[in-house]
Order: sequence, then C-alpha cells, then structure tokens
Amino acid sequence: MNIAVSRDPATGWPRRALTIQWSVALLTLLLVVAPLGPILWQSFLDRPLYEAGAVPGFANYVRLFGDPDFHAVLRNSFVFAVLATVIAVLAGVAFTLFLERTRLPGRNLLRNLLMWPLYISQLVTAFSWYTLYGPAGYFTLLGERIFGVPLWDMYSVPGMAILGGVTQAPVVYLFCASNARMADATLEDAARSVGAGPFRILWSVALPMLRPPIIYSAILVFIGSLETLAIPLIFGRPVGIEFFTTFLYSKGLGAITPDYGMIGAAASLLLVIVTLLLVVQGLLLRRAGRFVSVKGKSQRPKRIDLGMGGYVVSGLLALYLLVGVLLPMAAVLLRAFTTFLTPLLSPFELLTLENFQSIFDYPVHVRAIVNSVVIAGVGGLVATVLIAVIALVIRRSSFPFARALEYVALYPRAMPGIVAGIGFFWAMLLLPFIGALSGTIWILMIAFTMRGIPTAYGAIAPALMQIGPELDQSARSLGADWWTAVTRIILPLTKPALFAAYTLLFLSFLKEYSAAVFLYAPGAEIIGTTMLSFWAEGEGGAVAALSVIQLIITLAFVLIAHRFTRTHRDV
Amino acid sequence: MSEVVIDNLGKHYGAVRALDDVSLHVAEGEFVTLLGPSGCGKSTTLFALAGLDRPTEGTIRIGDRVFFDAAAGIDVPAERRGIGLVFQSYALWPHMTVRQNLAFPLKLRKVPKAEQAVRIEEALALVDLTGLGERLPHELSGGQQQRVALARTLVFRPSLLLLDEPLSNLDAKLRHKARDWLKQLQRQLGLTTLYVTHDQEEALAMSDRIAVMQAGRIVQLDTPERIYRRPATRFVADFIGAGNFLPVRHVGHDEGGRMLVETGEGVRLVTAGTAPPGAGADLAVTIRPQHLRLSAAPIDDENRLTGTIVDRTYLGARHGYTVAIGDQRIQAESEQLFEPGAVHLAFRAEDTLLLDG
Ligand SMILES: Nc1ncnc2c1ncn2[C@@H]1O[C@H](COP(=O)(O)OP(=O)(O)OP(=O)(O)O)[C@@H](O)[C@H]1O
Ligand SMILES: [Mg+2]
Repeated sequence: MNIAVSRDPATGWPRRALTIQWSVALLTLLLVVAPLGPILWQSFLDRPLYEAGAVPGFANYVRLFGDPDFHAVLRNSFVFAVLATVIAVLAGVAFTLFLERTRLPGRNLLRNLLMWPLYISQLVTAFSWYTLYGPAGYFTLLGERIFGVPLWDMYSVPGMAILGGVTQAPVVYLFCASNARMADATLEDAARSVGAGPFRILWSVALPMLRPPIIYSAILVFIGSLETLAIPLIFGRPVGIEFFTTFLYSKGLGAITPDYGMIGAAASLLLVIVTLLLVVQGLLLRRAGRFVSVKGKSQRPKRIDLGMGGYVVSGLLALYLLVGVLLPMAAVLLRAFTTFLTPLLSPFELLTLENFQSIFDYPVHVRAIVNSVVIAGVGGLVATVLIAVIALVIRRSSFPFARALEYVALYPRAMPGIVAGIGFFWAMLLLPFIGALSGTIWILMIAFTMRGIPTAYGAIAPALMQIGPELDQSARSLGADWWTAVTRIILPLTKPALFAAYTLLFLSFLKEYSAAVFLYAPGAEIIGTTMLSFWAEGEGGAVAALSVIQLIITLAFVLIAHRFTRTHRDV
Repeated sequence: MSEVVIDNLGKHYGAVRALDDVSLHVAEGEFVTLLGPSGCGKSTTLFALAGLDRPTEGTIRIGDRVFFDAAAGIDVPAERRGIGLVFQSYALWPHMTVRQNLAFPLKLRKVPKAEQAVRIEEALALVDLTGLGERLPHELSGGQQQRVALARTLVFRPSLLLLDEPLSNLDAKLRHKARDWLKQLQRQLGLTTLYVTHDQEEALAMSDRIAVMQAGRIVQLDTPERIYRRPATRFVADFIGAGNFLPVRHVGHDEGGRMLVETGEGVRLVTAGTAPPGAGADLAVTIRPQHLRLSAAPIDDENRLTGTIVDRTYLGARHGYTVAIGDQRIQAESEQLFEPGAVHLAFRAEDTLLLDG
C-alpha cells in the first residue's frame, strides 16, 4: 500500500498527527531503552562502560555463575519468591471467595483493610513488621519473656516470605475478585440443588472458576517477590541472606569500587528471568481468554450464606489483618512518638516528639519530603499526560507501529526498580544529555515515569476502548485532524480514567524508593532514600516518623481523590 | 460542482472483498440510495467517501477534486474533504451541549463567533430544534438526537451529505415522518446526498436513484420506479419485495410478440417484457401478492392458475394466503375471506416480470 499521506500539501511539512505520533513513540522508546541498553551492554564488557578500550565478551557471566555467593542468591530469591507466592495466593483467594461469593459479616471493612498494603510503601510495611516481629521487636521480646525462647525468626527466608505474601495478597485479591464478581451464579445454584453445602460449593465450584486469574496473579506476585528490595534489605542483609536485589545493592553501593561487569550481568539475568515470566503469563492469558465466558446479561451475584460459620471465618480473616496489617501500622505510629518500644516499659512513659524534630530540624530532610511531594504531584501529572498520549497513539490512531509501541510501553513491567535505577545511572554516565540531569529530581521523575507507564496505561487504555469509534470519526468528518479529535472529544470522555491513572501514579511515585537508591544525590533526596539512610544509621525513631509522614500524605491524597471523584462522578 | 464520481472502488480484507469494483456517479443535487442486506458493503462505501476507511483500489472524485486514487497514492484525510457524514448511532459528543456540538465544526473552520451563533440558530431552525441548544445529548429523544446529528453536519455546509441508516434507530411511526421531512430538507437545500439503508420502502420513497448492492457489488442502479417494476436480477426482485417466484419454461411468443411460458404443471402464461439477456429456457416469473386475484369460481383472464389455500393470515384490511400450486408455494392477498381448499388465481401479463431461473 502506498503511504503518501505523510506530508501536508499546503506546507510540505509532515502532518501534525504523524509528527506527534512519531515523537511520542520515539520518546517512549528512549525512556525504555535508556536504562535497558546500558545494562545489557555493560553485562558484556570487561570494564566499566564509561572507560575506553572495553572488549565485549561473556567473562562477566562466567564469573557470575562461578560465584558461590551468587548461587546462594539465586536459591534464596527463588525459595523466597515461591513461598511468598504461595502465601499471597492462599490469602488472596481465601479473601476473594469469602468476600465476593458469600454473605460474610463485616466484609466491607475487611476488604478496605486488606487493600492497605497496596497504598503503603513496602519499606514502611517491612519496617513496621521489624518493629513488632523483628529480632528485637515488641512481640518477639514479649513471647521470649513468656516462653523463654524466641518463637519465630524473621531473619530467615520463610519469615521474610510471610511478609512478602501478606504485602502482595491484595494483588491476588484484585485480579480474582473482579473475576469472581462476574462469575455465573447459576453454576453455584446448580451445585446447591444437588445437595452441596456452602463450603463444598466454594471449594468445588467457585474456586476452580478462578484458575485463570490465580495463575495470572501468581506470576505477578512471583515477579514482585523477585523485585522487592525492602524486605531482604531489612531482614536478610543483617544476617547475610542476600537476594537478587540486595546483591545488586551491595555490589553497587556497598563496595568501594563497584564491580560493573558483575552488576551488569546479574541485572541482565534478572531482566531476562522477569521477561520470560511475563511472556509465559501472556501466553497463559491468551489461552485462558478462550474459555472465560463473560455474559452480557447483567445479573445480581447471588451470595452463599455461611450461617454461624460466617462469624468464624470473619474472625479468622480479621485476625489475619490484625496481625499482618493493623498492629504493625499501630506499632509504627507508636514508635514514631516514643524514644523506643519495649514490652518492659509502658510506651506512655517514653512519649516524645524528638523523632519528628530530628526530621524537621534539618532542611535536608524537609527537602526530601518536599521533593517526594513535588515528584508525586507534578511528575505524576506530567506522566499522566504523556501516558494518555501514548495510549491515544496506540489505541486511537492509525499510527503504523501502534502494536510495536504497545510492547515497548508495557515492557517496564519487566524492569525491577533497582535495575531501572542502575540503568538510568549508567545512562547518565554514558550520555551527556541525560548526564546533565544527574543529581536533580528530574532524573527521578523520569525513572519513575518509565516505571509507571504500564500501570497508567492499564488504567487508560480500557477506557479508551469503551468509546465508540464513531465519536472521533464524526469529529474527523467534520473537519478535525487526529490531534484535535482525540484531545477535544476522546480525552474529555476519559476524564475518570485519567484521574484514576493520576491517583495510581501519585501514590506509586510517593512510595517509590528502589529505583531511587542509585539515582538520588544531595539535594535530590526523597522520603524513601532518607528512610534508608536513617535505617542504615540505626535511627529507628526517625524512620518511623518519616513513615508516619508518608502515611499522612498518602491518606490525605486518597481522601481528597475520593472526594473529588465523588463530586465529579458525572464527568 | 459537487458531482460525485466513484470508479472501480475496491476494499479487501485479506481474501474478503468488502467492496468489489464499485462504480457510481452521482449528479449534483441528486439523492442516491445504497440499498442492500447487512454486510453488503454500504457503510464501507460511505466511509471510503468520507475518508474514514481506506479502500484498496479505485478512485474517488468530487467535482474536480480527487480525494482518493489508489494508483497515484492520493488519499486526502477525512478532515480535508468537507463531506458531511451522519452516523447510524448519531455520534453526538456526550460531554457537549447541542450548541457546543454544532459549534465544533465552525470553530475548526475559524468562523467568527458572531457568525457562529447565527449559523447555529439557522441550523437548529432547519431541523425544528430551536430552543434546545443548551441541552445535553442524553436529554433529547432519539428523533431529536438524530436531527441534532444532521444539524451538526449541515451547519458547516458540506459539499456532499452522507447518511448511514440515519432513521434505523427510530420507531416505525417516527421513521415515516422523519423520512418525509429529510427528503424535503434535501430538496430545499439542493444537497447532493448519498443515503444508506436496508429498508426498501425508505429507499423507494426518498431516492432519485437507487443502487442495490450485493456482496460488495452494485447489482442494479436505477430509478425507484424501474427498480420496483423491472428488477434486473432475482436478488434485486427478492430484496425489493417482489414476493413470488414461479419456475417456468420459455415456449414461444404470442401474436403480439409477448412471451409465452409454461409452468411445471403445463399451464401456459403470457408475460410482459423479455427474458433477461443470456437467460436459457429455464426462467422464473414474478408476481406481487397484491397483483394476484383470488376467486372461488374460475376467472376469465389471460393468465389463470388453480391451487389450494394452505394457510391464512389476518393482515388487518386484507387477508394473506399461502397457496400451493403443484410443489410451489406462493403468497397472495385479498380483501375477501376464503376458507382453506381449492382456489382460482388470475393475474395480468403486465404485472409479471421474467427473471433468470
Ligand atoms: N475489519 C474487517 N475485516 C474483515 N472483514 C470486514 C472488516 N470490516 C468489515 N468487513 C466486512 O466487510 C463487509 C461490508 O461491511 P459494511 O459495514 O460495509 O456492511 P453494511 O452493508 O454497512 O452492513 P450493515 O447494513 O449491517 O451496516 C462485511 O461483510 C464485513 O464483514
Ligand atoms: Mg453499515
């Protein structure tokens, strides 16, 4: 086919539509390749990538696989990821079945509580568990006093896996719940009519129907477990249990002369593993799509009545949330306002504001908070606009490479935060125009934006697809070019989705830390990196205070966002 | 000049030919209807004209402007064509009031504010919607929405008006009214119009000419009168509601030169016209149900048949009958009430038409 439409006969310039589409496509590609390229390239070089005379080869990989420490890293990472996935799936599925398919007492409250870990930085959650269940944690000491021996050991792979599972159970719930809500209730009625009891129905009918979302979300959790930095940093590194992420962290930041080759090879390996997992997930999802039947007819989901059993189940789920979410958060709050926390003394004798003073008395730390808010508020806005345009090009234009662009835009899912951080760090060393951003909050915004593309795209693209093509076609036939049609007609109609995308980006930019550990510099600190510095100095009180500040910002934002969507429901 | 010239237009989706060698010339001010069953390529033709769907071959010209030429690689984008398209679903923008919907094409053309207001009022008056400018689309009835969609298209004075089944979302009564009103408006404005429908009655009532489409091709392009009286193929005849097809054999001519045919039962019939070119001896004769006269007693007429009433339906003013003639079933209508059983039928030669069997 002859594509002779690219130039405007009046001006001779390429048309506005194609200019915008190509610019956005190239910018997206640059965002993704900038960190990816240097890492892959470095993994084959025998010296740091900024030094001249490097010879490409496989020496780094040979060294990496020959390193017994790295064998332990692989083993730890995978055992942790498997255990955490199992725990997250068990919890997530249990919540799905009981919250979505039964008439459980108090299910709305339970659902809200369950979602908390999604809003909270994993660093804060890990720290909160440390305060309660760590080796010198409140409950650990309490148990030791009563029973004479420590009852658990959080400095172990299974201990960390429980935390990893609890923080990621909401992910499993999210995917399974939307599926369970659409499930055909007549299947359950049929089971009841042949005499199955409520628990039997859940086990034999409702659960098997959830297989596709379970597999899908299990892979997500597995990837999330490989990517987590906070948990192994807080619970593994003190006793020498290294994971993929802490291995990169130690090699890059812990050593006086970082081993570039080794870091490159390990980061590349992690990228390859996660990419493969995503490919598998994509294939499974495509196959699953064939036998998932979503009915057009709307039906009120019928819920199973558990009778008195409901109160027992409710109690058990509440206990899980109390131990896993609520008490740790309370502990952080208490820790922020006390000199230290111990079962030996009443916390009310130890009340203090010192922890907050140690933050607010220092402009550096105040600046970190301001930076975080600016990055989340402004960076999130810019990212939302950019990603909205990316989605428009992919979903609502005749851009010839729209499909390829979608692959590029979704690729950051495969890039763990710490890997992205290393990648951008190296890109700054390599490319002068990116290097100019070194030590500013801009590079953080750019890195966070790149990481945020898939999330925001996932919120915007489905909304775009729900708008009939005739709405922009009619604008086109009335004289609007592509850009006018999509910005004046399509974007205003996707306002709720754009707002949802902004909310997601704001929250994830605010709690991001792993992509920043290699990128932040004096003047460009954020809450997460400051927390890590306090942590390294053993300043538990300051970490707790910062956690509380981050939680308050999150809470305020969520409340405002909620208000805003309520009053603007009709847009 | 806004004469429309479509030549050898083709649109292929892999092996699927949504459009196959479609040629159509529409004169200035003419009202031409594309008529055909679902999936025959009507919308594809319209969207190709509007520039919203890129054909794979052929040319499109309006007046002296070439809008599309596959061979020369010319494809003027939709927004530069100045063609008005009214969508089946109206495609009103839900976040804009009626006035904002109408103002949009004017703003794009940088029409001054004062003139915008005048032209919007004019357009609203034209479609009888004066005073509803501040409503949002969902605050209007289906018929009103349809008229807003039309007004939004008329307001920028397109050189050509394309309408894709604009009345299909209206109820039967409203559709009747809207159809007369639309036709009148088109005459009044003298706008060249291409209209798409699968309702033959609508096509017959409104068009200057009708193009009947089948599987991506135009099979007959003619005036409503001729399409109705002289459908070129059995498909057209069937689609236009000719009703009955009786298989016959050609046996000769009578003294007036009219064709003589014989049914399977050996009954001789006189028919009007000639067999279609290239037809063999096996033909089909069509007679509309309302042209068949029924009687309990034998009728004295040039064409007579006998059959058995096997079914009767009450149609209000008349009764519909299914009559078995040999192994054929035909439909007939009469104001008289007949009981099931033997019946005589008669019809005039000029009410018949011969088609390829
Ligand atoms: N993307 C596509 N891929 C393959 N075939 C297509 C595609 N789009 C349309 N077609 C086919 O092209 C043919 C013409 O479609 P078109 O929309 O023009 O039909 P239509 O005459 O307007 O029908 P209707 O009255 O139902 O609106 C149909 O057979 C349709 O199946
Ligand atoms: Mg159509």
